[in-house]
Amino acid sequence: MPQSRKWRQRAEPFAVCRRRAIAGLAAAVLAPWTFSSPARAANSVVSFGVNPLFLDSDIQLLSLILVYLAKQLDRPVQLVRRRTYQEITAMLLSGQLDAAWICDDPYVQHKDQFALLAVPLYRGDPLYQTYVIVNEASKAQSFDDAKGSVHAFSDPDSTSGYLVTRYLLAVRHTTPAEFFRDFFFTYGHRNVVRAVAAGLAQSGSIDGYVWDVMNEREPDLTRKTRVIYRSERLGFPPIVGLEATRDAGLAQALSAAFIAMPSDPLGQGILKILELDGFTHATPDLYHATLEKWLVVKAQV
Amino acid sequence: MARLAKFITWPLAWKVPLLVAGLMVGIAAMISQVVLSRLASDQESNLRLLTNAYLDGLSAAVLQPVLRTDVWETFDALDRARSHYSGVDTLYVLVELPDGRVLAASDPGRFPVQSDVPAGLTQHFSPTDDLVIDSFDGRAWLSRTLRTEGFSVGRILSEIDISELLRVRREVFLTLILVNGALTVAFAVIGYLALKRMLQPLGVLTKYVERVREGRAEPIPEPNRRKISREFAQLFERFNAMASAVNERESLATHLAEQEKYAVLGKLASGMAHEVNNPLGGLFNALDTLRRYGDDSKVRASTLDLLKRGLTHIRNVVRSTLVIYRREESKRSVGAADIDDLRLLIEPEAVRRNIKLEWINDVQGRLPVSAGSVRQATLNLLLNACTATPARGVVQLRATASAEYLKIEIGDQGSGMSAALIEYLVADAPVGFPASDGLGLWIVRRLVADERGAIRVVREQDFNTIVQVIWPYREEYRSQCDEDAAPAEDVVNA
Repeated sequence: MPQSRKWRQRAEPFAVCRRRAIAGLAAAVLAPWTFSSPARAANSVVSFGVNPLFLDSDIQLLSLILVYLAKQLDRPVQLVRRRTYQEITAMLLSGQLDAAWICDDPYVQHKDQFALLAVPLYRGDPLYQTYVIVNEASKAQSFDDAKGSVHAFSDPDSTSGYLVTRYLLAVRHTTPAEFFRDFFFTYGHRNVVRAVAAGLAQSGSIDGYVWDVMNEREPDLTRKTRVIYRSERLGFPPIVGLEATRDAGLAQALSAAFIAMPSDPLGQGILKILELDGFTHATPDLYHATLEKWLVVKAQV
Repeated sequence: MARLAKFITWPLAWKVPLLVAGLMVGIAAMISQVVLSRLASDQESNLRLLTNAYLDGLSAAVLQPVLRTDVWETFDALDRARSHYSGVDTLYVLVELPDGRVLAASDPGRFPVQSDVPAGLTQHFSPTDDLVIDSFDGRAWLSRTLRTEGFSVGRILSEIDISELLRVRREVFLTLILVNGALTVAFAVIGYLALKRMLQPLGVLTKYVERVREGRAEPIPEPNRRKISREFAQLFERFNAMASAVNERESLATHLAEQEKYAVLGKLASGMAHEVNNPLGGLFNALDTLRRYGDDSKVRASTLDLLKRGLTHIRNVVRSTLVIYRREESKRSVGAADIDDLRLLIEPEAVRRNIKLEWINDVQGRLPVSAGSVRQATLNLLLNACTATPARGVVQLRATASAEYLKIEIGDQGSGMSAALIEYLVADAPVGFPASDGLGLWIVRRLVADERGAIRVVREQDFNTIVQVIWPYREEYRSQCDEDAAPAEDVVNA
């Protein structure tokens, strides 16, 4: 409840947009996660995939994104949500989605097939970190101190929620099963914080951007956790389309829509909720460090 | 039983309110028991429904995660259920795997993932997944076995706090106690006041009946007969009628007693005249003898002796008459001489009946008892004893004094007193008149009652009847004991 209230407060300056968003939400209820302008109803629907980045579930934010994209593209849009990164990646690769906001790990795994459309700017850079956190009662001060704990991962295809920790273990020539007493996946960065805060797990791997945002919005929850490891800065999870359609009009339009978000009132509202500065263009080099880690892990497996 | 007997003797104004209060307490206790029992039953029933709904929802939510042994999904379902089922105050809920380990718990700090479920914990739960309630500690334990395709894949164990239900139960109990207690006290007080008001005429009646027992039959005055129920009004009317009848009879009896007294006096006067007349003939003869043969010293001496005996006899008769006619001094204390005087009165009657008198008077000085009452009662008893005793029989008087009372015993050798007469004499508050010819015993009984004395009738070997009269010492005569100085003798000498 506190989370929803805070997010509503942040959306209030955009009252006009909110009305449109609510209209979009109503439409979404009738046809889940689709929004279409009556004038353009005949156009094909744009399918856009999203993962639970740090959102556990926020219908308001999704409806804002839906309305914004529909307005920018002037076409009906369908937001497709799945529980895991793998499902979204598979849908994108199989052509079921026109574009998706995925994690950088799946991007580096399929970088030949994916085209970067836009990358979020967080605190001025398209970068973020991986955190390893422990329960506040834990005496661990470094990553190695987390050995023997029950560990919470986010998603097997998440860089911050799995790959980086897996990489740290690989360079130590060990595996999660050997290093941790037990481990499990929560399929959500916020869930990692909840699991560690509740004591279900003693340690967890989490997106640093998510933990920082949560630390501002839900300090009572993050206060029960403590960061014991921060990775180097890695490329932020990107918005990608298929390489084969990079030059198509839709891909360009989607890219332009995200890049233009800071200049649109509705887009500003979305960025404010996400606590992002905007979106930018990027090259695959941004994800070099992620790729290296994936290769190390892949080599161990 | 002794307490019950004591309770029966309590006044109605106390007993009835107490009985009402007792009944109220009993009814209140019974109603409270029924209400609490029903409340407890309803609460348990509602708790079962609620916990069943809780377990139904929870088991549906966790079944698939449990099948996958998905720690997070299981925990997430348990954690969310806490807010979704706000009616169930869960202390903890956990999912136990078939091997006895914890898959996930709402309180992972207490029940870590993959740890063994504590043995002390599982003993609280029913093997058949029934709800287990501990009303004393305000806890309940519920469990649900998770099954799929007939196989158990895990078990939900939860402990909930039901102290709120018990608090409600306690509040209801306290409310019942307070309300019923207040009602009981109120009804008892109202009952007491109402009954006291209703029984007020009974108190009045009791007071006036008590006066009858003390010898004063007074009618209940008009102010006391207002604003009373019809039953008491009739009772008061009948009491007043009875009081009037008693007063009339009392008046008649007093009149008859006076007549009896005069009759006795007449009888005694007749006897006295006879006793005086008998020696008078001899005395006149003696005077003639002296006139004729007075010169003869022997004749003179014997004649004078005869004259002396005759005159002595007359003097004794006159003395006894004086005793009878002497004005009664009701407040005078009795002395030994007062008792001895009676012998002079009764002796002619004893002689006439050829009865021997035994006179034992151990009284010394004066005693704080009414002389008039003692003399009149004793004389009546002596006359009765003489009447009852056959010729050549013995009548005995024995007067003894103790520290607290004077006891006078009159024994006769008659055929014995009838049971009715004995009952009349010894009763505390005799009603009516004795079954005898005269009013002698009635007078005796009244005199003794007035002086708060007592009468006993016993039998001994030599006497078929001995009437013992106890005359307790009274303060109003005590001051005269020192002042009185043998008044009987003075009167006689005068």
